Amino acid sequence: MKRSWLYPAILTGMLLFSANVSAQVVVVANLGEKNTSMKKAEIRNLFMGGIGGQLDPVTLSPGIRERHMFNTLIVGLTESRIQSYWAQMRFSGRNHEPVEVESVEAMLRYLLENEGSVGYLPADFPVPRSLTVLYTTG
Amino acid sequence: MAVSLWHLFAVCSLVSSPVLGSAQENLHISGFTRLVGGVLGTDEARYQGYDDSVSVSSFSSVSSFSLAAVQADYQFTDYLSGSAQVLYHSSENRDSGIEWLYLSFEPTEALQLKAGRLRTPALFYSDVQDVGYAYPWVLAPQQLYSAYIFTRYEGANLRYRFAWDNMQFELEGYWGHFDDEISSGDLSLNLHVENLNGLIGLVRFGNGLSIRLATMHAPETDINMVQLDLLQQGLQVAGFEKLARMVSLEGSSRNYMASISYEGLEWFATAEGTTLDSEIDALAELQSYYVMAGRYLGDFQVFATLAASSYSLNEINNTIPPGLSPELDQLYYGVEILKATLLTDELRSFSLGTRWDFRPSMALKAEITWLDGEPGKSSFYDVTSIQEGFDRDTTLYQVAWEWVF
Repeated sequence: MKRSWLYPAILTGMLLFSANVSAQVVVVANLGEKNTSMKKAEIRNLFMGGIGGQLDPVTLSPGIRERHMFNTLIVGLTESRIQSYWAQMRFSGRNHEPVEVESVEAMLRYLLENEGSVGYLPADFPVPRSLTVLYTTG
Repeated sequence: MAVSLWHLFAVCSLVSSPVLGSAQENLHISGFTRLVGGVLGTDEARYQGYDDSVSVSSFSSVSSFSLAAVQADYQFTDYLSGSAQVLYHSSENRDSGIEWLYLSFEPTEALQLKAGRLRTPALFYSDVQDVGYAYPWVLAPQQLYSAYIFTRYEGANLRYRFAWDNMQFELEGYWGHFDDEISSGDLSLNLHVENLNGLIGLVRFGNGLSIRLATMHAPETDINMVQLDLLQQGLQVAGFEKLARMVSLEGSSRNYMASISYEGLEWFATAEGTTLDSEIDALAELQSYYVMAGRYLGDFQVFATLAASSYSLNEINNTIPPGLSPELDQLYYGVEILKATLLTDELRSFSLGTRWDFRPSMALKAEITWLDGEPGKSSFYDVTSIQEGFDRDTTLYQVAWEWVF
């Protein structure tokens, strides 16, 4: 059964509970029945195109605050360096950047719909029970 | 060429529009452009195509490093994809056209096999040297990056990746052949390399630090230049067999390269070194390195680069006695001219640069480089442009606009 109303409803509820803007992020994944955690360096490697097992990273578009926080707190690189790195990877045929989504809402939707995907949300964002928290900054 | 480049800029703008970019799910179009300009602080020589004239209004005044490229990637299946990259540039020393054309087979996340026309991954940025957006400089240190003339090859590249703890490892090998008509200094020659091969090992430590070691071996190199072939034949006919062998440009060369890099939130640094040994008498042995360190200041980067190269030439002893006959004199002066045109690119340089990533996928760069060459040597200047008395010391000013899409 298609429940197109479900994600906006969940998101609206979550946004009401996260009125205070968080300066931290939480890394979450859709792992199905599995449960695990990851180290910060492993997450960094995954989002920079390293070997990631069956996990597919998804990131926010440049300019979004949570992407900046994720870059700073997890990846440890500036936005310009990340963009340069992916230009190097793409035009040398070595790798491709993670899937990009336009908003936190789209990130949540993508994570819920794609098993094996890994993304990040504001730390005070109520994480749906179907997603697994892999790492929390701060 | 300039018209073609402008046309390609227009095509770049068109294909970067979201309408065309999403036209077909399995097809991905991307590309890059760079406009580079600069001026040299002397009228006594040219350096990498730069001279002391500048005119921002004339397209012909932009440097030979200006270019534009469009890349198409097509995903045939989950494991098989194809890529083609068409590149147009303003350099008179290179042919515009298909730069990359290969199939990529990735049966697992760890393994990638590419076959076709590929760029040679000699140094850290060698295979993306045209993509100025990928590195901080306007011009990557020429002591290393212009020394590799086998910039691309037709063959295969196998890469295996694995992880251990926080570290990511890459092992890569490539093999193929290289054919091109290239210009070195002011000479034009045909170059053929059979069985070009190399190995690369890369470790990313997970904390911003990475180390890369690489080799490149060109076991069967054959360089043909009409004037040189005539000289060689003349020497053989006149009985100067040893001299004829010394001016021959056939043989092998082997390169070893090492890189270390740190990328952090506030600081970044890279150092690379290379050594080249050649069996070819008329070519030099080369050792070169650079060290670069920089700091991020918001959307700006500032960085300093120190680079140096040293060459050791095998001495060609001209045993032809001058003044005996016009024919022998012709051979004598032919050997002397050859000796004078052999590249002896000893150069130290120090540069200060800045890069401003003023919006995603675009950057502006400015760079000032102090060049300190060796009097009497080519020092990466265009050999025939060097005027009598030039001390090989000058300053190069460059600006660039970079865009990837």
